[in-house]
Amino acid sequence: MNTAATDPDGSGFYEILLQGRLDARWAACFEGLTLTTGDGFTLLAGPVTDQAALHGLLHRLRDIGLPLVSVRQVGTDDEPRTPHHTDSTPGA
Amino acid sequence: MPSPLVRTKLYVPRARHVVVPRSRLTDHLTREWPPRLTLVAGPAGFGKTTLVAAWAGASGRPVAWVSLEESEQQPASFWTYVVTALDNAAPGVGAGVLPLLQAPHPPMESVLATLLNGLEALPDGVDLVLDDYHLADGPAIAGDVAFLVEHLPPQVHLVISTRADPALPLARLRARGELVEVRAADLRFTVEEATAYLNDVVGLDLDDPEIAMLEGRTEGWIAALQLAALSLQGRDDAAHFIAGFAGDDRYVVDYLVEEVLGRQPDAVRRFLLDTSILDRLSASLCDAVTGAGNGKAMLESLERSSLFVIPLDDSRQWYRYHHLFADVLRAHLLEERPGEVAGLHRRAAESYAVSAEPVPAVRHALAAGDVELAADVMERSVIGMLRRRDEATVRGWVDAIPDEVVHRRPVLAVGFIGALMSRGEFQTVPTRLDELEQVLADPPADRVVLEEHELARVPGAMETYRAALWLVAGDPAGTVAHADLAIARAAPGDDLTVAAASALSGLASWAGGDLESAHRAYSLAVKGLERAGNIADVLGCSITLGDLRVTQGRLGDAKRTYEDALRLAEAHETDGPLRGEADMLVGLSQIALERNEIAAATDDLERVAALGEGLGLPQNPYRWRVARARLREAQGDLTGAVDLLDEAERVYVGDFSPDVCPVAARRARVLVALGRTDDALDWARGRELTADDDLSYVREFEHLTLARILLHQKDADGTARAAAYGLLDRLRVAAEQGGRTGTLIEVLALQAPATGGGRGPHGLRRALDTLERALRLAEPEGYVRTFVGEGAPMADLLGALVRQDPSWRYPRRLLRAFEGATTGPRHQGLVDPLSARELDVLRLLATDLSGPAIAGELYLSLNTVRTHTKNVYAKLGVGGRRAAVTRARELGLL
Repeated sequence: MNTAATDPDGSGFYEILLQGRLDARWAACFEGLTLTTGDGFTLLAGPVTDQAALHGLLHRLRDIGLPLVSVRQVGTDDEPRTPHHTDSTPGA
Repeated sequence: MPSPLVRTKLYVPRARHVVVPRSRLTDHLTREWPPRLTLVAGPAGFGKTTLVAAWAGASGRPVAWVSLEESEQQPASFWTYVVTALDNAAPGVGAGVLPLLQAPHPPMESVLATLLNGLEALPDGVDLVLDDYHLADGPAIAGDVAFLVEHLPPQVHLVISTRADPALPLARLRARGELVEVRAADLRFTVEEATAYLNDVVGLDLDDPEIAMLEGRTEGWIAALQLAALSLQGRDDAAHFIAGFAGDDRYVVDYLVEEVLGRQPDAVRRFLLDTSILDRLSASLCDAVTGAGNGKAMLESLERSSLFVIPLDDSRQWYRYHHLFADVLRAHLLEERPGEVAGLHRRAAESYAVSAEPVPAVRHALAAGDVELAADVMERSVIGMLRRRDEATVRGWVDAIPDEVVHRRPVLAVGFIGALMSRGEFQTVPTRLDELEQVLADPPADRVVLEEHELARVPGAMETYRAALWLVAGDPAGTVAHADLAIARAAPGDDLTVAAASALSGLASWAGGDLESAHRAYSLAVKGLERAGNIADVLGCSITLGDLRVTQGRLGDAKRTYEDALRLAEAHETDGPLRGEADMLVGLSQIALERNEIAAATDDLERVAALGEGLGLPQNPYRWRVARARLREAQGDLTGAVDLLDEAERVYVGDFSPDVCPVAARRARVLVALGRTDDALDWARGRELTADDDLSYVREFEHLTLARILLHQKDADGTARAAAYGLLDRLRVAAEQGGRTGTLIEVLALQAPATGGGRGPHGLRRALDTLERALRLAEPEGYVRTFVGEGAPMADLLGALVRQDPSWRYPRRLLRAFEGATTGPRHQGLVDPLSARELDVLRLLATDLSGPAIAGELYLSLNTVRTHTKNVYAKLGVGGRRAAVTRARELGLL
């Protein structure tokens, strides 16, 4: 059973998939989340305190202008989802 | 209330000197019958603001523009900007609304009703543009904006630009054809528009495949196209750049900003990153943050090269970065120099603190993670903010500073308590006060006090808040006790604490019906406020002082109170009248009206209208309407009076004062006069009033109203009348005991005809005794309307009194006032009609009174009477008194 999904405050581990490849420097702006990029997309993953924090995060993404593909809550014990083509984001 | 209003938020952005004409969009927006709502929705950097500005600039209609920010999630701030913008576009439309918004808890229904009335009356249309609506959208404003949209008059249109669909009933508006939308897909630049921009505007001279590639890669995102254009300017290898860009899958803005930044000299690059933490840019602010002195030159050169900055005014003082670029710049800053970010914020905070802008100063100090600096800024500004009634902002600060930091700072702690109290959040206040008491008694080693003299004010302020807590708890004795303590503990020269405590003590006495103590306390408050130079509050307290005197039956003293306050205000005028002068005129009009000086009352109220509602204190909108309603009632226009009282109820704003003359009760009285006794009874039932209630001063006016209703009720077995008599007798005793002579006169004037009706010589005797008592109390103060308002039975009694004692002039004067009142307003058959005052003089010219005696009757100087007399002769076209009377009789004026 997925314990995270039953938390009434929505706290838990989230994966947010964005269209477009964000530079690694943005990781500093999304403290606590890991930023993984692949072919034309970006995956932000990490713990989110509650629904308010999640909505705040989505607002920040909206303000950058990156199209949102999906938002998914995952159990911390789940296998973290990995993009098909991980890449190391070459230093700019 | 936001204070001060940030003018740049109301600036209508100029369409840039060269923009790509987007007629497919502006044509879509321009309609012969514009819809209620135009929604321009799309992501950041899609050209929403530019599109709306271009359309608004070409529409030829006045535009009210508000660039919203997060602070407008507060309803008071949101509506203040909206109404101010509308008022700038259509002067006068916000006049009655802005005072309502200054109340601690603005009555939103009244705000919207008054605003919509103003918009309704606009001869020309106006477009209200709310830019960046997503920043303000939220439950606190959504319902009211939906109401506004639903009720907008046809000549007013709302335009919303936003990154997220607003919480408005869009589906319903869409179905009714009342919504026009421009969405992301529409906003994307087409290949033709991209060509026009890149080649015609920027002058890049690219070929079609190159443009198609750029358009495809940016998906018509204009912000990205602009960045691409910047990257391409001055490049020899355009084709190579475009191919590289198109073949990359990175976030477009990352790629391009990097390109652009990489091509800037180090100084510019550094400047851009350093200042990216600022919401608004001015030369001096930039200098403070960067530590360099090149802010002005840098901003100008950035604007010239269209690099990121948008001017916020015409004088080129304030700019901001495009939000999108600012985000990317901040990401660069955070990555490249994470250790410096806090320092930049700290310098911004310090600069804002020096320029006395505590709100952004606090924001930057908190962003710097420097809680002590934030607390310093708050401590220095909190008293002033509360005085300017910006409680909402201070309330927001309370949550931003950890309790243990506040705990060490008594001055800040007492300011926070003040903000919580004014917002009606009392729960934590007693604990906070107790903790503060301990800190004062036994100061911890790390106690912080920035200004020692502010610390001296804390004990007095604390007791003032305790007094207020007792008042809220409904305990007058506790209120007075703590108010006395506050006065005793107030620091020498702390006039405002003395004033506030005195006013609280006065309020407690007032609500308890002890008017003399209330008056004493309020007078003390007024003296303190006057010493502190707070004239607006002196005028506010003078309203109460006047009301108290009227209830005490001391019309002359009430008049002097208003006149003195008015003189004081006039002496403090710097440019134009002060707020509150209008309130004094309303007070004066009420005295004049009671004395049947209709012309003077009309004149006072017209002066209020001329001053404009904006010059009143928050209570003035309803008080002014009540005063006009009473004037209409006196002129016989009862339905007009009811209409005005309805309006008064809508714009009613309460304060701490007891509502001792509720508008609804006044309305019930007029309903009785209209013969609508059943409707009046419904009111009384709604208020759960009965003739057997225990009496308290705060409900005296309502009980007196109930007695009037009962006296007029259809009453087969006489129970209602009996109940009215009993109630009136108890009211009389209460008024006598409380020294409320004004109330007593009214009770006696009601009792006299009631007790005399058809009961033979014995009843008449009692009635005349009662009336005589009322007249002896009323004569020195010149009461007229209280008697005239009782109608024919009162006239009969007065006639009997005149026959009994022909030498007593006062009843004769009252009887004459009846004649004036019963004839009512009418057409005079003159080219130049007589004024109310001239009619008064004319009526006395028909008697055998001498000139000086007429002057005495009317409380006028002999000279004034002579002037009026001359005017009367001229208007009637006669040469003397006898002829004037004859002519006036012919015309039916007498």
